[in-house]
Amino acid sequence: MTQTTSSQAESRVMVQNRFSNVLQWIAVPAGTVVLIVAGSLLSPKFLTMSNATNVLINMSISGIIVVGMTFVFITRGMADLSVPATAAIGGILALGLGPALGTLPAALVGILAATAAGCVNGLLIGYARVNPVITTLAVGTIVLGTAQAFVGGVIVYGQDPQIKEFLTSRLFGVVPVIVLVFAAFAVAGHLLLSRTVLGRWSYAVGSNPDAAQASAVPVRRTKAAAFALTGGLAGLSGVLLGLTLQTARPAIGTGYEFNAITAVVVGGVSLLGGSGSVPRAMAGLLFVQVLTNIMVLQGVPTEPQGLAKGLLIAGAVALDVWLRNRGGAK
Amino acid sequence: MSDTESSRVGNPVVLRMDGISKSFPGIRALITVDLEVRAGQVHAIVGENGAGKSTLMRILNGVYQPDEGKIELDGVVVRLTSPIEAKKHGIAMVYQELNLVPDLTVAENICLGATPAIGGFVRRGEQRAEAERVLSQLDAGVNPDDVVGTLSVSQQQIVEIAKAYRSQPRIVVLDEPTSSLSEHEVQAMFRLVRRLRDKGAAVIYISHRLREVLEIADQVTVLRDGRMIESRPIAGITTADMIRLMVGRELTDIFPKREVEIGDPVLKVSGLSRAGAFHDVEFEVRSGEILGMAGLVGAGRTEVARAIFGLDRSDSGTVTLDGQERTIQSPAEAVRTGIAYVPEDRKRDGLVQQMSIRDNITLAILPSLASAGWIRAGEQQRLAVEKATAMTVNPPVVDRNVDTLSGGNQQKVVLAKWLATKPRVLILDEPTRGVDVGAKSDIHHIIGDFVAQGTAVILISSELPEVIAVSDRILVLHEGAISAVLPRGSSEQDVMRAATGEVEQ
Repeated sequence: MTQTTSSQAESRVMVQNRFSNVLQWIAVPAGTVVLIVAGSLLSPKFLTMSNATNVLINMSISGIIVVGMTFVFITRGMADLSVPATAAIGGILALGLGPALGTLPAALVGILAATAAGCVNGLLIGYARVNPVITTLAVGTIVLGTAQAFVGGVIVYGQDPQIKEFLTSRLFGVVPVIVLVFAAFAVAGHLLLSRTVLGRWSYAVGSNPDAAQASAVPVRRTKAAAFALTGGLAGLSGVLLGLTLQTARPAIGTGYEFNAITAVVVGGVSLLGGSGSVPRAMAGLLFVQVLTNIMVLQGVPTEPQGLAKGLLIAGAVALDVWLRNRGGAK
Repeated sequence: MSDTESSRVGNPVVLRMDGISKSFPGIRALITVDLEVRAGQVHAIVGENGAGKSTLMRILNGVYQPDEGKIELDGVVVRLTSPIEAKKHGIAMVYQELNLVPDLTVAENICLGATPAIGGFVRRGEQRAEAERVLSQLDAGVNPDDVVGTLSVSQQQIVEIAKAYRSQPRIVVLDEPTSSLSEHEVQAMFRLVRRLRDKGAAVIYISHRLREVLEIADQVTVLRDGRMIESRPIAGITTADMIRLMVGRELTDIFPKREVEIGDPVLKVSGLSRAGAFHDVEFEVRSGEILGMAGLVGAGRTEVARAIFGLDRSDSGTVTLDGQERTIQSPAEAVRTGIAYVPEDRKRDGLVQQMSIRDNITLAILPSLASAGWIRAGEQQRLAVEKATAMTVNPPVVDRNVDTLSGGNQQKVVLAKWLATKPRVLILDEPTRGVDVGAKSDIHHIIGDFVAQGTAVILISSELPEVIAVSDRILVLHEGAISAVLPRGSSEQDVMRAATGEVEQ
């Protein structure tokens, strides 16, 4: 008798859990659909091929950074604020060294330099346990200062228009190459997080660092890896941005850290670590990108746009904390 | 004495909880529970973990609302909708975890929440006088000017009770007040409890320590599986009776001892020291042997275990495994050399609550289940199911999150994780704390399996019956040093004497 009631109650809980899980999964994609409907009603330009491509290209540059930022969030590394600097150094080196080394080697040097900066972040945060916000701000400032010294405060122009053409050209006449590059990294990031040892370790470290440590998980290395990865990916983003624009200046990456954080948080990846996934972060990114696009098409000035994004991020973080507290109160 | 006891039995009923039921998703925590508490009595509530004690007390404190049933205070039906409401009705809770501000003085802590003040400025003289009054009423022997952080745990507990007593409550609930106290501190706590009782308060006393319940309580109520099993005067009942009522079985079933042939030494520790924690710790454990490690809270047992496992560093000393000296500086190295450690604090160090049973079981051996960093999912699943089944984890559905399991099943998952590493030495730190009696017996069967396979086991436990029942030898620590090594068959008194430093060896 008791058996039946308790198993009934149990299945009720499971249904409730499944329901709230489904709700968490569906909320952001559903919101995106609503936005798309609203956008197509508001502006005739919205549902055109050229606008969709525009959204996708914008999304690609941010999206590669979002992959790394997801790892940072999940390992409870708070956030990487050095992204604008690591992206800038990538772009500047790729264009600045291009004539001397050739475009691809120069791009590689740019990515490696950004990865090195990410490793410094990782060493300080993972091994020396310095606060991530302070560390990445400091490292970012140093890297940006170095970049400015390198270019002497002027804009670097690229000399390889073919690469620009290639990156923005459409494979099979539909998808721009840069979008494919982004998709490849998103899939790779998803597999890395969900199928590998490093991925499991990332969740364990973010969810309960003490238990992870006591279970022989290399906590410091895992945390450091998240920042090294983000450094490298931000560098890659900067390289792609520089190559498509064929210009780079130290401020090229400004705002990308905030875009990435907004996307990750809106996607429901917890700032408190241990939960979330790359697909969810991507859903968050798409939502933010579509929202931004609609505001641009409607001629909303930059300041209210910032206000909207700020409200979005504050709301998403508050919701995350609220859900966690409710979950923990049982 | 018996006169006063019988007169207390006739005291007026101050609290009546009538037909209280409460369900949570998945469990019926309380099923029509009745409770009658009289003024000027110490009323013990005993039961296994999960029996419903804390749910009942949370209802009394207004944290939860009952699904059914009513609460009467002095014969008047009340609705307790919040802890503030409960406090207004004269119900004071003293929880196990201390809620004191360590940087403030005793007086400031006692008056916290209702500090005497004019226009926001604290009236320090009045505050001190108020605290002094409460402390002297309780005969507490604590100086109101001391900073709380500098006091011992037992003194802090006294301050906590004084703080609760300040509003002259009718009912004082003490939740495991002696759990972190040593034997002689317990006596000081009892004096305070009797003082409260003699002042006319009804004291509800929740404890796992049944011998203490016999000593202090006038009335005992036994809960089991959310039901009230019995409520009766303490006179004439024994601890064995209480255990039988709590679990429906005998103590010998709880800590089964597997007879295993003891082999060669596996782990040798010598001269292990860390300033301020432990010094010159020296022992060996043999294959198939269970070495008990006893001592008071703070004697250094956990610190020694963590140092051997590489979680904390040690200043000096050597660890030898199977005759080979090892330097172990991280848990990863410890696991590689064949040492496993089931930590004291399961929530903090034992499990990653947000991960699945499967991921928790395989966490310590993940690299060995992967090719080039890529996890072989099928193999991981098979291994997790195998270990979960071997540990009788219920339910053995390994993709469930561990936080959906009961305490006992969570502990089995921790054991499964270490079983998977195939350890030569297994260190268990309070392996059955906070789990119900059924799971206790399961866990000891599992430990029996480990030693039968030749694993050397070190068992740290504060529960003396447990250490005595299963250990082949008992190492007793006192203030960071080994004070005795006792053979099998030693009594609780032998262990306590060594633990309190009454015998030096």
